[in-house]
Amino acid sequence: MAGNGTTARRDATLGHTCLTYDDPADFDTAARAFLAAGHAAGQQTWYVGNGKPQGWEFTPEVLAVAAHYPAGSVIDPEAGLAAYAEATDRARAEGYTGLCVAADATALVRTPAQLEAFARYEFLVDRYMRDHPFTAMCAFDRGELGADVTTELACAHPDSQAPFRLYADRPDRSGAALAGELDADTLTWFEHTLQRCDLAPAGGELRLDGSALTFIDHQSLLSLDRYARGLGATAVLRTPFASARRMAELLELTAVRVKDMS
Amino acid sequence: MRSGAATGHQGCFHEALPYSSGDELLSVVIPFLLDGVAAGEPAVVALGAEGAALVRAALPVDSGVLFLPVDAIYTRPAGAIRAYRELLGHRVARGAAQVRVAGELPRPALGRTWDWWARYEAAINHAFDDFPLWTLCAYDTRHTSAAVLADVARTHPRFILPGDRHEISAAYTEPRTFLMENRPLWPDPVQQRAPLAELTDPTPAQARQAVRAAAAGLTAEACDDLVVAVSETVTNALRYGHPPARLSVWSGDDRVLVAVTDAGEGPKDPFAGLLPHQDSAPGGRGLWITYQACDHVATVRDETGWTIRMIAGEVN
Repeated sequence: MAGNGTTARRDATLGHTCLTYDDPADFDTAARAFLAAGHAAGQQTWYVGNGKPQGWEFTPEVLAVAAHYPAGSVIDPEAGLAAYAEATDRARAEGYTGLCVAADATALVRTPAQLEAFARYEFLVDRYMRDHPFTAMCAFDRGELGADVTTELACAHPDSQAPFRLYADRPDRSGAALAGELDADTLTWFEHTLQRCDLAPAGGELRLDGSALTFIDHQSLLSLDRYARGLGATAVLRTPFASARRMAELLELTAVRVKDMS
Repeated sequence: MRSGAATGHQGCFHEALPYSSGDELLSVVIPFLLDGVAAGEPAVVALGAEGAALVRAALPVDSGVLFLPVDAIYTRPAGAIRAYRELLGHRVARGAAQVRVAGELPRPALGRTWDWWARYEAAINHAFDDFPLWTLCAYDTRHTSAAVLADVARTHPRFILPGDRHEISAAYTEPRTFLMENRPLWPDPVQQRAPLAELTDPTPAQARQAVRAAAAGLTAEACDDLVVAVSETVTNALRYGHPPARLSVWSGDDRVLVAVTDAGEGPKDPFAGLLPHQDSAPGGRGLWITYQACDHVATVRDETGWTIRMIAGEVN
């Protein structure tokens, strides 16, 4: 156990941010701010991008994207996580409090196969962060990938501009947090993200913390119901959005139970 | 085997009971209930407080008649259909050959929101027709307008009258015909004000934002439910309607009105909104939820297309 990963980021970002950029300069600006916070918290900092950080008040390790993420490669989620876990341990062995990475991962999500693997990898990393001192900002070029792909990736981060976020709120697979707004426009992303987050019921239940969920429509509830039933589980969703409970009753959902937090 | 006037009838036996005095009401309702109990049929009362008190006093102690909380049952038409179907399903599953229900809409339902209760009365001829239900719907003619009574005659196949008389209603209109008739929306003075928001082809998220901005006067529950209704409606308009979809939001002192218009003809299912979705009806489930999330819903077709108007708050 290497300590609490949110030590450096005890805020809503949970240390896992997604940046969708149109101008590559925006990546450098955001990376600088993100890594500066890690540096201030005593983390080792890595810059994985195409630029050259200059004039910063600290000096991150600079890794070229092409070297770190070979063109066209499909990430192996477990191996990818293992590499960062090892790097985090190494940073701690060297006296840092942990590892903070800002990475432009555009090259890793250009094809559907790459996207699928990388989105699953995001969830592994997210869970690892909940009890390890590893923080990361993942950046994607919207102009190159298209808004559909970048939004789908942003949905899998606790901190992003996506309309909803599904992310790990604990290190195990028994549940997740759901935030933002879910409707017909987000349904496909929601279904894909649910499949990729790879939850595993505990005691027949998937615990979903919806304390920051402000809207869910009936199609998304039905989708969650299908997902939970497919796992032989009941999804227990706690949310202050009380209409969710009333809709679940109307729809007579058998694999979703909504607990009202209001 | 069903007892009484509905003997041999298949499905819902739906009668109207116009009455003008407590004695007249009791002369029909008491034998209706006690004959049911004697035949081993569940007998249910869902009358207003006044009528229920009269009936309760006139029945023997431990009569076996079930009294329902009428205000909870008759809050919204789609909810009333859902609640009754659940009750009927349970009773029939336990072997009831017939279920008798004496019902009466609360007096406010006979006012300006009557239009959706008229649709309810028409729809239940179909919605309850898979149950051996004998239901009489009481209307106090001292408090019911001629226009409402005309709709009562059009939505009830029969009248039940004192002396165990049952008369065919000559004005009865097939539910599908009645429900597809185009009724103008009753004018709400709040719509004389300038809309707080007017959006063309809004995303569901933009529509929700417009409603929240106008809903300061609503309870959190009413606001959330209206947000659900509008989101589902805009989703349907964009997916199944014809462009453009236009959203207008008005805020009154005690209610919020939202109208969504698209250039299409609206749902083809006459029972849309009142009955749970049917697989063949696009958007049906969202519309059914909408009807249960608002304090009034009405729809109209005109030269601009199809409009659905939703109200949350005080409507009576």
